[in-house]
Amino acid sequence: MPISRRQVLAGSAAGAASLATGLARPAIAASEPIRIGFLPALTGPSSSTGVAINRGTILAIDEINAAGGVAGRKIELISRDTQSDPTKAVNGVAELIGRQKVHFVWGPLNSGEALAATPLIARGGIPQVDSCWVDSLTDVTKYPLAYRNAPTNQQVGGAASHYILDVLKLKKVAVIGDTTGYGTASVEAYVPMVKGKGGDVVYQGEVDASNPDLKPELLRMRDAGAQVIMPWSVNAGFLSRILNTRGQMGWDVPVVGQTTLGSGQTKALLEKPEYWNKVYQNNFRPCSFTSNGKLPPRTVEFVDRLKKAKIEMGDTLLWWIAIGYDAPRMIADAVKAVGSEPKKVGDYWNTLKGWPGVYGDISFTATNHNGYPDDEVVMCEANSFREGAFNLAPGYGA
Amino acid sequence: MLESIVSYGLAIGAIYALIGITYNVMFTASRVFSFTSGMLGMLGGVFGALFINRLGLPVGVGFVATLAGGALIGIVTEIVTVRPVLKSLDQHLYVLSTLAFALLVQQFTAIEWSTEPQPFPRLLPIGTGLVDQQFWLPVLACAATIIGLELLYRHTLIGRAFLAISEDNYAARALGLPEQKLRMTSFALAGAIGTLAGFAGGEVLLAFFANEPMLNFYGFVPVALGGMGSNRGAVIGGLALGLFQQTANYLVGGIFASVAVFVVFIIVLLVRPEGFAGATTARRV
Repeated sequence: MPISRRQVLAGSAAGAASLATGLARPAIAASEPIRIGFLPALTGPSSSTGVAINRGTILAIDEINAAGGVAGRKIELISRDTQSDPTKAVNGVAELIGRQKVHFVWGPLNSGEALAATPLIARGGIPQVDSCWVDSLTDVTKYPLAYRNAPTNQQVGGAASHYILDVLKLKKVAVIGDTTGYGTASVEAYVPMVKGKGGDVVYQGEVDASNPDLKPELLRMRDAGAQVIMPWSVNAGFLSRILNTRGQMGWDVPVVGQTTLGSGQTKALLEKPEYWNKVYQNNFRPCSFTSNGKLPPRTVEFVDRLKKAKIEMGDTLLWWIAIGYDAPRMIADAVKAVGSEPKKVGDYWNTLKGWPGVYGDISFTATNHNGYPDDEVVMCEANSFREGAFNLAPGYGA
Repeated sequence: MLESIVSYGLAIGAIYALIGITYNVMFTASRVFSFTSGMLGMLGGVFGALFINRLGLPVGVGFVATLAGGALIGIVTEIVTVRPVLKSLDQHLYVLSTLAFALLVQQFTAIEWSTEPQPFPRLLPIGTGLVDQQFWLPVLACAATIIGLELLYRHTLIGRAFLAISEDNYAARALGLPEQKLRMTSFALAGAIGTLAGFAGGEVLLAFFANEPMLNFYGFVPVALGGMGSNRGAVIGGLALGLFQQTANYLVGGIFASVAVFVVFIIVLLVRPEGFAGATTARRV
């Protein structure tokens, strides 16, 4: 049978392609860098979290690469700023998976962006480490390779409810959120939670965070007999207005809720420093000062490392930096154990137990990809802020 | 409750009214509806906090610098977003170009200033409670602005030139009025008024880049209610909006307050599309 020149060329091309894609792959894979696609919001209205997490992530990757990488493979961080915009997060995911061919995705770091991007990451079959709290972001059926190294909203609300009802022994609760997806989802989740634990939700509401006057809301709460305010928002302006109005009204009720209550941005907007008294926000035991004024030993070592690397902590929260530090290390440990093939990574993480992060000890199972332990979600005193951390709120043991 | 509705409602209403006047001042001299008014209001707060809090300038110097900054931004707006577009006759592309410029400035502010609301300084060491300066300063600024504009338009040559341009652009140019210079001056004036709104209302709204869309939106309502180009209408519309919004805040609260505001807004426009103070224009057939 005569063989044409075209057939020879086609056959050669196919052979070359099979060599490149098939035979040569193991050799390349063994030495190619581990590409982590990172989706922080470094600009935009919700960027304070991303900026801090970015510091921890870069430190961890620098340390791993300085120590020779993982099994001889360097880690390459490919960041795409989501600008606090879900659309840009989705575009970032498409580029990271389609063009950059990343092995892992770390983020997005804000719930709205993660809600938009996670289905796309799952469709790409890429293992994802997620640190957002919205419960629906992990689902072993829909997103089989999405693993959360942070608490869920249920855990966060559970800690606040526990503190109000069991530690402060207050029953009448006002639950308020802003009109963002996070605010409304939180109010919807926590009202039944407080009621389920025996509390009485005497007021619930969602308010536009740009509303400059929250006095009507607080008057309604007071008139309803609220003994404690439980606000859910990441907007420092909104939270500071609640605290300022509470102070102006001379209404001496505790405020127990979202971590941003303790942020430096909230503090900067308070009319008087004492308006920060009796404010207890979510925090995490490994990043909290115990009653003897010390951080846990693992965290002390981490803080020393941050200081050595001249990483600023005073303008942000320690747990943000810690979670940023943990995620690439968790990925690196998985690669060290089983390589970067997605299914093997998933199988490995499904058996992870007590992985020692600075932020918390992470455990997953095949049916539960929420890895953060309940007992490490605590409440802290907002006005005790120093070096990015807080004192545990009164009522917690050492 | 009533005192709180009145004090807060008038304060926020005066800010909306000033933003409405900013829209009008630009519109009067150019027939351009520039969506940079909210941006100017936002910059008033940011400039005030920047000059006084961060750079430590005295309040008076910070105030003048803020207004001068606003006037400069107004001039840049005219040169960059309006003048090139007006060359393409009969096209309302300035809606896009001004909005794009406003978004550009907002993003730049977010990156260079902060994405979090920043504190605005106490301007005067007096007044607390319901007569706090944060409530009466915007009202005072609004009153001073409307009186100043009335004097300008009715008793000065340049004011009359503005009116002439707004009445009949071609006739005014035929008479030798420098249309381009007048338009640029009106944008500078609008820049100063817009930043005055943000500065006077800074203690209420804080220095926050995200105030821009809110002010753009709520500042437009008094213009629609009061009638396009009518400053008196904008003041009445702005104060009415502020009082109604605050009343809705107390009576229904939460997100329903915004819904109530826009339900009434739509009803008013259905009943009186030309606004409270606007005149119905006859269409030549």
